[in-house]
Amino acid sequence: MFWFYLERVLGYWPVLLKGLGMTIGLSLLSLVIGVAIGFAFGIIRAGRNRWLSRALGLYIDLFRATPFLVQVFIVFFILPVIGIELSAFAAGVVALSNMAACFIGEIVAAGLKAVPAGQREAALASGMTRAQQMRLVVMPQAVRIITPSLVGQFVLLIKDSSVVSAIGLLDLTRAGWLIVQSVPNGLLVFGIIGIGYFIICYPLIWLSRRLERRSQAAFL
Amino acid sequence: MIDFSGVNKWFGPLHVLQDISLTVAKGEVVVVCGPSGSGKSTLIRCINGLEPFQSGRLIVDGADLANRKALRALRMEVGFVFQSFNLYPHKTALENVTLAPIHVRRLGRAQAEERGRALLEKVGLGDKMGSYPHQLSGGQQQRVAIARSLCMQPKIMLFDEPTSALDPEMINEVLDVMVSLAREGMTMMVVTHEMGFARKVADRVIFMDRGAIVETAPPEMFFTAPAHARTRDFLGKILQH
Repeated sequence: MFWFYLERVLGYWPVLLKGLGMTIGLSLLSLVIGVAIGFAFGIIRAGRNRWLSRALGLYIDLFRATPFLVQVFIVFFILPVIGIELSAFAAGVVALSNMAACFIGEIVAAGLKAVPAGQREAALASGMTRAQQMRLVVMPQAVRIITPSLVGQFVLLIKDSSVVSAIGLLDLTRAGWLIVQSVPNGLLVFGIIGIGYFIICYPLIWLSRRLERRSQAAFL
Repeated sequence: MIDFSGVNKWFGPLHVLQDISLTVAKGEVVVVCGPSGSGKSTLIRCINGLEPFQSGRLIVDGADLANRKALRALRMEVGFVFQSFNLYPHKTALENVTLAPIHVRRLGRAQAEERGRALLEKVGLGDKMGSYPHQLSGGQQQRVAIARSLCMQPKIMLFDEPTSALDPEMINEVLDVMVSLAREGMTMMVVTHEMGFARKVADRVIFMDRGAIVETAPPEMFFTAPAHARTRDFLGKILQH
Protein backbone atom coordinates (compact mmCIF):
# COMPACT_ATOMS: atom_id res chain seq x y z
CA MET A 1 0.00 0.00 0.00
CA PHE A 2 2.82 2.40 0.97
CA TRP A 3 4.69 1.87 -2.29
CA PHE A 4 1.51 2.27 -4.25
CA TYR A 5 0.80 5.66 -2.63
CA LEU A 6 4.41 6.74 -2.91
CA GLU A 7 4.36 6.00 -6.63
CA ARG A 8 1.17 8.01 -7.02
CA VAL A 9 2.54 10.98 -5.06
CA LEU A 10 5.74 10.96 -7.07
CA GLY A 11 3.56 10.76 -10.20
CA TYR A 12 2.60 14.32 -9.33
CA TRP A 13 6.21 15.46 -9.73
CA PRO A 14 5.35 18.31 -12.11
CA VAL A 15 3.13 19.86 -9.39
CA LEU A 16 5.74 19.21 -6.72
CA LEU A 17 8.45 20.75 -8.88
CA LYS A 18 6.29 23.75 -9.66
CA GLY A 19 5.57 24.22 -5.95
CA LEU A 20 9.24 23.90 -5.10
CA GLY A 21 10.10 26.45 -7.78
CA MET A 22 7.48 28.86 -6.43
CA THR A 23 8.73 28.49 -2.85
CA ILE A 24 12.32 29.11 -3.91
CA GLY A 25 11.44 31.96 -6.29
CA LEU A 26 9.17 33.70 -3.80
CA SER A 27 11.68 33.32 -0.98
CA LEU A 28 14.63 34.47 -3.05
CA LEU A 29 12.89 37.56 -4.40
CA SER A 30 11.57 38.50 -0.96
CA LEU A 31 15.01 37.87 0.49
CA VAL A 32 16.73 40.28 -1.90
CA ILE A 33 14.12 43.00 -1.35
CA GLY A 34 13.94 42.30 2.39
CA VAL A 35 17.72 42.52 2.81
CA ALA A 36 17.93 45.78 0.85
CA ILE A 37 15.13 47.44 2.83
CA GLY A 38 16.24 45.75 6.07
CA PHE A 39 19.72 47.29 5.88
CA ALA A 40 18.18 50.71 5.27
CA PHE A 41 15.88 50.14 8.28
CA GLY A 42 18.83 49.07 10.40
CA ILE A 43 20.87 52.17 9.55
CA ILE A 44 17.92 54.39 10.47
CA ARG A 45 17.22 52.43 13.67
CA ALA A 46 20.83 52.75 14.82
CA GLY A 47 21.08 56.32 13.50
CA ARG A 48 21.17 59.68 15.23
CA ASN A 49 17.66 60.86 14.36
CA ARG A 50 15.73 59.70 17.42
CA TRP A 51 12.23 60.47 16.20
CA LEU A 52 12.74 58.77 12.86
CA SER A 53 14.23 55.78 14.67
CA ARG A 54 11.32 55.56 17.10
CA ALA A 55 8.69 55.90 14.38
CA LEU A 56 10.36 53.14 12.39
CA GLY A 57 10.68 51.05 15.57
CA LEU A 58 6.92 51.27 16.05
CA TYR A 59 6.31 50.20 12.45
CA ILE A 60 8.71 47.27 12.85
CA ASP A 61 7.14 46.14 16.13
CA LEU A 62 3.72 46.24 14.50
CA PHE A 63 4.81 43.55 12.07
CA ARG A 64 6.92 41.61 14.53
CA ALA A 65 3.97 41.35 16.90
CA THR A 66 1.26 40.19 14.48
CA PRO A 67 0.88 36.75 12.89
CA PHE A 68 2.25 36.55 9.37
CA LEU A 69 -0.97 34.99 8.11
CA VAL A 70 -2.85 38.12 9.20
CA GLN A 71 -0.33 40.31 7.40
CA VAL A 72 -0.75 38.31 4.20
CA PHE A 73 -4.55 38.68 4.43
CA ILE A 74 -4.24 42.41 4.98
CA VAL A 75 -2.05 42.84 1.91
CA PHE A 76 -4.21 40.58 -0.25
CA PHE A 77 -7.76 41.33 0.93
CA ILE A 78 -7.67 44.72 2.68
CA LEU A 79 -5.36 46.74 0.43
CA PRO A 80 -7.72 46.35 -2.57
CA VAL A 81 -10.34 48.20 -0.49
CA ILE A 82 -8.15 51.29 -0.60
CA GLY A 83 -7.45 50.74 -4.27
CA ILE A 84 -4.20 48.75 -4.22
CA GLU A 85 -4.91 45.52 -6.02
CA LEU A 86 -2.11 42.98 -6.15
CA SER A 87 -1.80 39.55 -7.73
CA ALA A 88 -1.37 36.69 -5.28
CA PHE A 89 2.34 36.52 -6.15
CA ALA A 90 2.89 40.26 -5.74
CA ALA A 91 0.94 40.23 -2.47
CA GLY A 92 3.09 37.32 -1.26
CA VAL A 93 6.30 39.14 -2.16
CA VAL A 94 5.14 42.37 -0.51
CA ALA A 95 4.10 40.65 2.72
CA LEU A 96 7.18 38.43 2.91
CA SER A 97 9.77 41.07 2.06
CA ASN A 98 8.15 43.55 4.43
CA MET A 99 8.28 41.09 7.29
CA ALA A 100 11.85 40.08 6.42
CA ALA A 101 12.87 43.76 6.31
CA CYS A 102 11.43 44.32 9.79
CA PHE A 103 13.33 41.44 11.37
CA ILE A 104 16.53 42.10 9.41
CA GLY A 105 16.31 45.80 10.31
CA GLU A 106 16.49 45.00 14.02
CA ILE A 107 19.34 42.53 13.46
CA VAL A 108 21.33 45.10 11.45
CA ALA A 109 20.68 47.82 14.05
CA ALA A 110 21.94 45.53 16.81
CA GLY A 111 25.04 44.72 14.73
CA LEU A 112 25.80 48.39 14.12
CA LYS A 113 25.47 49.16 17.81
CA ALA A 114 27.79 46.25 18.66
CA VAL A 115 30.71 47.85 16.78
CA PRO A 116 32.81 49.67 19.43
CA ALA A 117 32.45 53.47 19.44
CA GLY A 118 36.22 53.80 19.10
CA GLN A 119 35.99 52.45 15.55
CA ARG A 120 33.75 55.24 14.40
CA GLU A 121 35.89 57.73 16.29
CA ALA A 122 39.09 56.55 14.60
CA ALA A 123 37.42 56.85 11.21
CA LEU A 124 36.04 60.28 12.10
CA ALA A 125 39.45 61.48 13.31
CA SER A 126 40.99 60.52 9.97
CA GLY A 127 38.62 62.85 8.14
CA MET A 128 36.08 60.38 6.78
CA THR A 129 32.55 61.54 6.01
CA ARG A 130 29.67 59.85 7.85
CA ALA A 131 28.92 57.78 4.76
CA GLN A 132 32.55 56.65 4.52
CA GLN A 133 32.65 55.75 8.21
CA MET A 134 29.61 53.57 7.68
CA ARG A 135 30.71 51.99 4.40
CA LEU A 136 34.40 51.42 5.10
CA VAL A 137 34.60 50.85 8.85
CA VAL A 138 31.36 50.26 10.73
CA MET A 139 29.18 48.27 8.30
CA PRO A 140 31.81 45.67 7.32
CA GLN A 141 32.31 44.86 11.01
CA ALA A 142 28.57 44.82 11.72
CA VAL A 143 28.01 42.43 8.81
CA ARG A 144 30.55 40.01 10.27
CA ILE A 145 28.81 40.12 13.61
CA ILE A 146 25.31 39.56 12.24
CA THR A 147 25.90 37.13 9.37
CA PRO A 148 25.00 34.01 11.39
CA SER A 149 21.70 35.51 12.62
CA LEU A 150 21.00 36.87 9.16
CA VAL A 151 21.31 33.42 7.60
CA GLY A 152 19.10 32.05 10.39
CA GLN A 153 16.54 34.69 9.41
CA PHE A 154 16.65 33.46 5.80
CA VAL A 155 15.62 30.01 7.03
CA LEU A 156 12.62 31.49 8.85
CA LEU A 157 11.69 33.43 5.72
CA ILE A 158 11.65 30.28 3.58
CA LYS A 159 9.48 28.47 6.12
CA ASP A 160 7.13 31.44 6.53
CA SER A 161 6.66 31.52 2.76
CA SER A 162 4.40 28.46 3.19
CA VAL A 163 1.75 30.80 4.61
CA VAL A 164 1.15 32.36 1.18
CA SER A 165 -0.47 29.11 0.07
CA ALA A 166 -3.48 30.51 1.97
CA ILE A 167 -4.05 33.12 -0.76
CA GLY A 168 -3.85 30.54 -3.53
CA LEU A 169 -0.22 30.64 -4.58
CA LEU A 170 0.96 27.24 -5.78
CA ASP A 171 3.99 26.86 -3.53
CA LEU A 172 5.37 23.67 -2.03
CA THR A 173 2.74 23.61 0.75
CA ARG A 174 -0.16 24.17 -1.64
CA ALA A 175 1.18 21.43 -3.89
CA GLY A 176 0.76 19.16 -0.87
CA TRP A 177 -2.84 20.25 -0.37
CA LEU A 178 -3.61 19.52 -4.02
CA ILE A 179 -1.97 16.09 -4.03
CA VAL A 180 -3.52 14.97 -0.76
CA GLN A 181 -6.97 15.36 -2.32
CA SER A 182 -6.32 12.45 -4.68
CA VAL A 183 -3.82 10.48 -2.60
CA PRO A 184 -5.46 9.83 0.78
CA ASN A 185 -2.28 9.54 2.82
CA GLY A 186 -1.57 12.88 4.50
CA LEU A 187 1.40 11.63 6.46
CA LEU A 188 3.19 10.49 3.32
CA VAL A 189 2.31 13.56 1.25
CA PHE A 190 3.28 16.13 3.87
CA GLY A 191 6.30 14.02 4.83
CA ILE A 192 7.56 14.53 1.30
CA ILE A 193 6.67 18.25 1.41
CA GLY A 194 8.59 18.52 4.69
CA ILE A 195 11.60 16.87 3.13
CA GLY A 196 11.40 19.47 0.34
CA TYR A 197 11.66 22.33 2.87
CA PHE A 198 14.39 20.52 4.74
CA ILE A 199 16.48 20.16 1.59
CA ILE A 200 16.31 23.93 1.01
CA CYS A 201 16.81 24.99 4.62
CA TYR A 202 19.36 22.53 5.95
CA PRO A 203 22.32 23.83 3.93
CA LEU A 204 21.52 27.32 5.26
CA ILE A 205 21.40 26.11 8.85
CA TRP A 206 24.71 24.34 8.33
CA LEU A 207 26.17 27.51 6.79
CA SER A 208 24.91 29.63 9.66
CA ARG A 209 26.57 27.35 12.21
CA ARG A 210 29.85 27.40 10.29
CA LEU A 211 29.81 31.17 10.00
CA GLU A 212 29.09 31.50 13.71
CA ARG A 213 32.16 29.46 14.55
CA ARG A 214 34.25 31.52 12.13
CA SER A 215 33.05 34.89 13.36
CA GLN A 216 33.81 33.84 16.93
CA ALA A 217 37.34 33.04 15.83
CA ALA A 218 37.83 36.22 13.80
CA PHE A 219 37.81 38.73 16.63
CA LEU A 220 39.99 36.91 19.15
CA MET B 1 49.50 76.07 15.26
CA ILE B 2 47.12 75.41 18.18
CA ASP B 3 45.61 78.36 19.97
CA PHE B 4 43.12 78.02 22.85
CA SER B 5 41.70 81.22 24.29
CA GLY B 6 39.25 81.09 27.16
CA VAL B 7 37.84 77.67 26.26
CA ASN B 8 35.18 76.26 28.60
CA LYS B 9 33.40 72.95 28.48
CA TRP B 10 30.80 71.35 30.70
CA PHE B 11 29.53 67.77 30.84
CA GLY B 12 26.15 68.58 32.37
CA PRO B 13 26.95 70.33 35.65
CA LEU B 14 30.59 69.22 35.54
CA HIS B 15 32.99 71.98 34.45
CA VAL B 16 35.57 69.80 32.66
CA LEU B 17 37.57 72.53 30.92
CA GLN B 18 37.93 75.77 32.84
CA ASP B 19 38.99 78.84 30.92
CA ILE B 20 41.79 77.13 28.98
CA SER B 21 44.25 79.43 27.24
CA LEU B 22 47.22 77.82 25.60
CA THR B 23 49.33 78.23 22.49
CA VAL B 24 51.39 75.55 20.82
CA ALA B 25 53.83 76.68 18.14
CA LYS B 26 54.82 74.78 15.01
CA GLY B 27 57.33 72.04 15.82
CA GLU B 28 56.68 72.22 19.53
CA VAL B 29 56.24 69.09 21.65
CA VAL B 30 53.91 69.58 24.61
CA VAL B 31 53.27 66.91 27.22
CA VAL B 32 50.05 67.11 29.24
CA CYS B 33 49.80 65.30 32.56
CA GLY B 34 47.52 65.29 35.55
CA PRO B 35 45.36 63.00 37.67
CA SER B 36 42.56 61.06 35.99
CA GLY B 37 39.48 63.16 35.47
CA SER B 38 41.55 66.34 35.23
CA GLY B 39 40.35 67.02 31.68
CA LYS B 40 43.59 66.31 29.83
CA SER B 41 42.04 63.85 27.36
CA THR B 42 39.09 66.17 26.82
CA LEU B 43 41.55 68.98 26.10
CA ILE B 44 43.31 67.23 23.24
CA ARG B 45 40.08 65.73 21.93
CA CYS B 46 38.84 69.30 21.41
CA ILE B 47 41.73 70.00 19.04
CA ASN B 48 40.38 67.81 16.23
CA GLY B 49 36.74 68.33 17.10
CA LEU B 50 36.07 64.97 18.76
CA GLU B 51 34.66 66.97 21.68
CA PRO B 52 32.64 70.14 21.24
CA PHE B 53 33.04 72.95 23.77
CA GLN B 54 30.61 75.62 24.89
CA SER B 55 32.58 78.84 25.01
CA GLY B 56 35.89 80.37 24.01
CA ARG B 57 37.90 80.16 20.82
CA LEU B 58 40.12 77.43 19.46
CA ILE B 59 42.13 77.98 16.27
CA VAL B 60 44.03 75.00 14.85
CA ASP B 61 46.20 75.35 11.76
CA GLY B 62 44.36 78.57 10.90
CA ALA B 63 40.90 76.98 11.16
CA ASP B 64 38.34 78.03 13.76
CA LEU B 65 36.87 74.95 15.51
CA ALA B 66 33.55 76.79 15.84
CA ASN B 67 33.14 76.30 12.10
CA ARG B 68 31.88 72.70 12.01
CA LYS B 69 31.99 72.67 8.21
CA ALA B 70 35.76 73.12 8.13
CA LEU B 71 36.25 70.25 10.59
CA ARG B 72 36.70 67.49 8.05
CA ALA B 73 39.45 69.36 6.21
CA LEU B 74 41.12 70.07 9.55
CA ARG B 75 40.99 66.42 10.66
CA MET B 76 43.02 65.45 7.59
CA GLU B 77 45.84 67.61 8.96
CA VAL B 78 45.63 66.39 12.56
CA GLY B 79 46.62 62.82 13.42
CA PHE B 80 45.10 61.25 16.53
CA VAL B 81 46.44 58.22 18.39
CA PHE B 82 44.07 56.59 20.88
CA GLN B 83 44.76 54.84 24.15
CA SER B 84 42.97 51.72 22.88
CA PHE B 85 44.57 51.85 19.38
CA ASN B 86 41.22 51.48 17.58
CA LEU B 87 42.72 49.70 14.60
CA TYR B 88 40.18 48.39 12.12
CA PRO B 89 39.98 44.65 12.97
CA HIS B 90 38.77 43.64 9.50
CA LYS B 91 41.76 45.21 7.73
CA THR B 92 45.42 44.21 7.58
CA ALA B 93 48.11 46.51 9.00
CA LEU B 94 48.82 47.92 5.55
CA GLU B 95 45.11 48.38 4.78
CA ASN B 96 44.64 50.15 8.12
CA VAL B 97 47.40 52.55 7.17
CA THR B 98 46.24 53.24 3.61
CA LEU B 99 42.45 53.40 4.10
CA ALA B 100 42.15 57.12 4.86
CA PRO B 101 44.83 58.25 2.38
CA ILE B 102 42.99 56.40 -0.40
CA HIS B 103 39.44 57.43 0.50
CA VAL B 104 39.93 60.78 2.21
CA ARG B 105 43.07 62.17 0.54
CA ARG B 106 42.12 60.51 -2.77
CA LEU B 107 45.62 59.18 -3.18
CA GLY B 108 46.15 56.45 -5.80
CA ARG B 109 46.31 52.97 -4.31
CA ALA B 110 49.88 52.31 -5.50
CA GLN B 111 51.13 55.58 -4.09
CA ALA B 112 49.29 55.09 -0.80
CA GLU B 113 50.70 51.59 -0.43
CA GLU B 114 54.21 52.79 -1.16
CA ARG B 115 53.85 55.46 1.51
CA GLY B 116 52.21 52.99 3.90
CA ARG B 117 54.97 50.40 3.48
CA ALA B 118 57.64 53.01 4.14
CA LEU B 119 55.88 54.11 7.34
CA LEU B 120 55.38 50.55 8.61
CA GLU B 121 59.10 49.95 7.96
CA LYS B 122 59.85 53.11 9.88
CA VAL B 123 57.93 51.98 12.96
CA GLY B 124 59.69 48.61 12.75
CA LEU B 125 56.82 46.53 11.34
CA GLY B 126 58.10 45.86 7.83
CA ASP B 127 57.37 42.17 8.32
CA LYS B 128 53.80 42.67 9.59
CA MET B 129 52.15 44.43 6.62
CA GLY B 130 49.69 41.60 5.97
CA SER B 131 48.89 40.87 9.62
CA TYR B 132 45.49 41.57 11.13
CA PRO B 133 45.32 43.56 14.38
CA HIS B 134 44.37 40.51 16.46
CA GLN B 135 47.61 38.85 15.33
CA LEU B 136 49.70 41.74 16.69
CA SER B 137 50.80 42.58 20.24
CA GLY B 138 49.56 45.77 21.88
CA GLY B 139 52.83 47.58 21.19
CA GLN B 140 52.74 46.52 17.56
CA GLN B 141 49.12 47.61 17.23
CA GLN B 142 49.89 51.03 18.64
CA ARG B 143 52.80 51.44 16.23
CA VAL B 144 50.49 50.56 13.34
CA ALA B 145 48.07 53.18 14.69
CA ILE B 146 50.83 55.79 14.68
CA ALA B 147 51.78 54.84 11.11
CA ARG B 148 48.09 55.07 10.17
CA SER B 149 47.94 58.66 11.39
CA LEU B 150 51.27 59.59 9.79
CA CYS B 151 50.20 58.24 6.42
CA MET B 152 47.82 61.21 6.10
CA GLN B 153 50.93 63.42 6.36
CA PRO B 154 49.45 65.50 9.18
CA LYS B 155 50.84 68.79 10.44
CA ILE B 156 49.97 68.00 14.05
CA MET B 157 49.97 64.71 15.97
CA LEU B 158 47.85 64.22 19.08
CA PHE B 159 48.43 61.29 21.46
CA ASP B 160 45.84 60.38 24.09
CA GLU B 161 47.64 58.19 26.67
CA PRO B 162 49.22 56.08 23.92
CA THR B 163 51.04 53.71 26.29
CA SER B 164 48.49 53.37 29.12
CA ALA B 165 46.92 50.21 27.73
CA LEU B 166 50.26 48.49 27.09
CA ASP B 167 52.17 45.89 29.04
CA PRO B 168 55.33 47.47 30.53
CA GLU B 169 57.72 45.68 28.19
CA MET B 170 56.00 47.19 25.14
CA ILE B 171 55.94 50.80 26.26
CA ASN B 172 59.43 51.64 25.05
CA GLU B 173 58.94 50.42 21.50
CA VAL B 174 56.06 52.90 21.16
CA LEU B 175 57.87 55.73 22.95
CA ASP B 176 60.91 55.24 20.68
CA VAL B 177 58.72 55.88 17.64
CA MET B 178 57.30 58.99 19.29
CA VAL B 179 60.74 60.28 20.24
CA SER B 180 62.01 59.98 16.68
CA LEU B 181 58.88 61.71 15.45
CA ALA B 182 59.46 64.58 17.90
CA ARG B 183 63.07 64.90 16.79
CA GLU B 184 61.96 65.18 13.17
CA GLY B 185 60.14 68.37 14.11
CA MET B 186 56.51 67.18 14.28
CA THR B 187 54.15 69.41 16.24
CA MET B 188 52.91 67.12 19.01
CA MET B 189 50.62 67.20 21.99
CA VAL B 190 50.91 64.13 24.17
CA VAL B 191 48.77 63.18 27.14
CA THR B 192 50.96 60.80 29.11
CA HIS B 193 52.44 59.94 32.47
CA GLU B 194 55.70 58.78 30.88
CA MET B 195 57.89 61.38 32.50
CA GLY B 196 61.03 59.93 30.89
CA PHE B 197 59.52 60.79 27.52
CA ALA B 198 58.67 64.28 28.75
CA ARG B 199 62.23 64.88 29.96
CA LYS B 200 63.70 63.65 26.71
CA VAL B 201 61.69 65.52 24.08
CA ALA B 202 59.09 67.89 25.56
CA ASP B 203 59.51 71.60 25.07
CA ARG B 204 56.90 72.21 27.75
CA VAL B 205 55.03 70.15 30.29
CA ILE B 206 51.52 71.12 31.29
CA PHE B 207 49.93 70.00 34.54
CA MET B 208 46.14 69.93 34.67
CA ASP B 209 43.87 69.41 37.64
CA ARG B 210 40.08 69.61 37.90
CA GLY B 211 39.67 70.98 34.38
CA ALA B 212 42.20 73.80 34.67
CA ILE B 213 45.81 74.27 33.63
CA VAL B 214 47.68 74.60 36.92
CA GLU B 215 51.22 74.90 35.68
CA THR B 216 53.18 75.15 32.45
CA ALA B 217 56.96 74.86 32.44
CA PRO B 218 59.93 73.50 30.50
CA PRO B 219 60.63 69.93 31.68
CA GLU B 220 63.79 70.66 33.68
CA MET B 221 61.94 73.29 35.69
CA PHE B 222 58.75 71.29 35.88
CA PHE B 223 60.47 68.32 37.47
CA THR B 224 63.03 70.10 39.66
CA ALA B 225 61.20 73.21 40.79
CA PRO B 226 57.43 73.01 40.28
CA ALA B 227 55.79 76.24 41.36
CA HIS B 228 52.51 74.84 42.65
CA ALA B 229 51.78 72.60 45.60
CA ARG B 230 49.33 70.51 43.59
CA THR B 231 52.01 69.82 40.95
CA ARG B 232 54.50 68.79 43.62
CA ASP B 233 51.89 66.55 45.19
CA PHE B 234 51.13 64.89 41.84
CA LEU B 235 54.80 64.44 40.92
CA GLY B 236 55.44 62.96 44.35
CA LYS B 237 52.80 60.34 43.65
CA ILE B 238 53.96 59.30 40.21
CA LEU B 239 57.74 59.62 40.62
CA GLN B 240 58.29 57.98 43.99
CA HIS B 241 59.34 54.61 42.55
